[in-house]
Amino acid sequence: MNVVITPAMVGQVVISGLLAGALYSLVALGLALIFGVMRVINIAHGTILMLGAYTTFWSFHILGLNPYLSLLVSMPLMFLLGVLLQRTFVRRVVDAPELSSLLLTFGISIALVNMAQLAFTSDLRSVEFLTGAFLLGPFAFSKSRVISFAFAVTLSLFAFWFLQRTKLGKAIRATSQSREVAMVCGINVQRIHLYSFGIASALSAAGGSLVAVMVAIQPEMGQVYTFKSFLVIVLGGAGNYPGALLGGMLLGLVEQLSSLFLTTQVSEAVAYLLLVLVLLLRPTGLLGGRST
Amino acid sequence: MKRAFQVGLAVLLFGLALYPTMASGYGIRFMLQLFMWVALAQSWNLISGLTGYVSFGHVAFFGTGAYAAGILVTTHGWHWVPASLAGGVAAVILALLIGYPCLRLKGPYFAISMLGLNEVMRVLVSYFEGLTGGGSGLSFPTQPASVQIYYAMALSALAVTGAAYFIITSRFGLKFMTIREDEVAAEAMGIDTARYKLGAFVLSAFVPGVVGGLFARDTGYIEPISVFALIITITMIVMALFGGKGTVWGPVLGAVTLFVLQELVWARFLFFYQILFGAIIVVVVLLMPRGILGVLQQRYHLPRTI
Amino acid sequence: MQTRPILEVSGVTKRFGGVTAVNRCSLSLARGKIYGLIGPNGSGKTTLFNCITGLERRDEGEVRFKGGRIDGLKPHQVARRGIGRTFQIIRVFPELTALENLLVVTQGPFEAARRRAEELLRFVTLDRLQNEYAGNLSYGQQKLLEFVRVLMTDPELILLDEPAAGVNPTLLNELLAAITGLRDQGKTILIVEHDMKVVMGLSETIFVLDYGEKIAEGPPGVIQADARVIEAYFGR
Repeated sequence: MNVVITPAMVGQVVISGLLAGALYSLVALGLALIFGVMRVINIAHGTILMLGAYTTFWSFHILGLNPYLSLLVSMPLMFLLGVLLQRTFVRRVVDAPELSSLLLTFGISIALVNMAQLAFTSDLRSVEFLTGAFLLGPFAFSKSRVISFAFAVTLSLFAFWFLQRTKLGKAIRATSQSREVAMVCGINVQRIHLYSFGIASALSAAGGSLVAVMVAIQPEMGQVYTFKSFLVIVLGGAGNYPGALLGGMLLGLVEQLSSLFLTTQVSEAVAYLLLVLVLLLRPTGLLGGRST
Repeated sequence: MKRAFQVGLAVLLFGLALYPTMASGYGIRFMLQLFMWVALAQSWNLISGLTGYVSFGHVAFFGTGAYAAGILVTTHGWHWVPASLAGGVAAVILALLIGYPCLRLKGPYFAISMLGLNEVMRVLVSYFEGLTGGGSGLSFPTQPASVQIYYAMALSALAVTGAAYFIITSRFGLKFMTIREDEVAAEAMGIDTARYKLGAFVLSAFVPGVVGGLFARDTGYIEPISVFALIITITMIVMALFGGKGTVWGPVLGAVTLFVLQELVWARFLFFYQILFGAIIVVVVLLMPRGILGVLQQRYHLPRTI
Repeated sequence: MQTRPILEVSGVTKRFGGVTAVNRCSLSLARGKIYGLIGPNGSGKTTLFNCITGLERRDEGEVRFKGGRIDGLKPHQVARRGIGRTFQIIRVFPELTALENLLVVTQGPFEAARRRAEELLRFVTLDRLQNEYAGNLSYGQQKLLEFVRVLMTDPELILLDEPAAGVNPTLLNELLAAITGLRDQGKTILIVEHDMKVVMGLSETIFVLDYGEKIAEGPPGVIQADARVIEAYFGR
């Protein structure tokens, strides 16, 4: 490898890594929430992100709606879809062996992806909005990435504030600590599950709307986000919500750093290697957390 | 009952052994694909149905086997039979590399690691163009050998079904099932669950690797998106679930039913039938966890080995 | 001269986050005796069992079995050395038959294992249900099945986590007789039990845990009169 790596390149990579990482954090927070509250890994999490991205695409394409304003559409819409999925399906497997919930959400994901194929075709779509970059010193900032980053950070912080300060948020945290204790304290656990799934789906949809302006949209785009969100949870420690935020940033950095040396495609393999390494060396996550 | 079943099975196997002598080319190719799906669904059943660890990326072994065999045949001039077996060995090596870290942990870690594995293998195979031909794929120069591949596929399906039978009926095999039943209790009773899990995983990876090699030889051309396709994993899972996971004959039943339907009807409505696949998974998980065979077993009080 | 204890737990501590579940606990068990382990709910009895059998990694302290260190071993390794256990919540293999539940944990000659399994099933009056799936048995029957499953591997030390809970009175007497019988064969037994009549009747020595600490140790009569024990149970 005879590429010369300058400090400026490293700085650029760190910036890109953090910009990408904030989105990973946002999406992973949703997956962590469902896992924390119900001990269910939602394989359809990335699928919901894909639907969020399509919501943004169509509202931009047909209505000319500003993609960032479309968060106001995609988030409530996917909140409702999440609630519906929880109410009709996931609710029935919360206490079953994890094999059931994994397979169930996998089935839901397949059905949704192919409905999207049928409805939207597998053509690659994109939202042409805020292209280009601005320069700050030696570093280039892609406009859409910076704005997405700002949205992702704001939403994540808001989600945290919500979990820490509001009554519903506290009930959610109590339920993820111990369902029995939450029940004894008079918390309606079924309702908490419903809200958690809804909120998690809204977070994933927000991620979808935000990536819609940056990447190609197609029905199978979600799977990789399910995988990466899971990786983020593993990095941060299962059941550890702040860990999910840090894990996302870390994943963004590692991916971008590896793209200095390898092609972008292979940096996906690097993320995988990272997962395997963490599982080997620190199975409870880098930041510690509850083991499953 | 059991006797009748055994006799029927023997007659069926005999018939299948003679089938190529009287069938058309289309019939042979239809059947060899059917055997391939039986082998794949049954392999998934070994790790996920019997041992209880869900694999969402089993096609990675199929693809790895296909490429390993493909490279050996095209660039090293191997005969396709040893090359396919080497494909199985390559899949086993991959299973050991992934299984050791991922199987030490509980279900979800393993499941999602497998989901990612498939993507990664596809990316890596595309990346190492010199070896694999990258995105343009590998072509086999040789002539068709459908009849031989028919027997090889049949043997693969038989071998992995035999393994499932062995697990369900032998004392040694039952140790694999204790992992699904209660891993903690199994450990406390002196069963080295980590070793048995890895064993089951390796077993479930070998045949897809071999079958991948045979598939490559049969179609004569492979590329990353065709042999690392998520839909292959989905299909084997749906077949095993629909017929009945955790049983010997469920995956066979599921593969036969769904493959026939797929060939005759659904292939014309691609996305519809994939939506249906998703729906089948949901319905089976919620309403009939042991699939069609489980329902039959319960209704007619059949022994578990049928 | 006293022979070396079969099990020595010395200074074992186990923490979960900020909670100390077991705190510098030490026990010593002599071969061929029945011991009781009691304490209020959440006093760390099951956690201590888990530390002995390797299901939990202890944070501090040592566990020795027949003189050799076993802390740090994996559960199956501990089991192979000769420690068997049952669980508070029943853990049979539900989709294996009663007979298979017993056979699957054995090694060595098959015929001998099957004879032993059938004999044990007869002993707990489950012989007619040997081909029934364990998950279809009643609660009490599953409990008995789990009990005899431990015996299949012929362990020298047996840890029983609430063996009497949910077993009907007739069977209970047989179960108690069986436990004493095992002791007479030279096995060592450690029982966690909430039913005071059972534990006081069986045990020669009783350990009392409270908030993860051993607060008393002695024969049943002494324990029943111990002020700290009474306080632990009723004082709060």
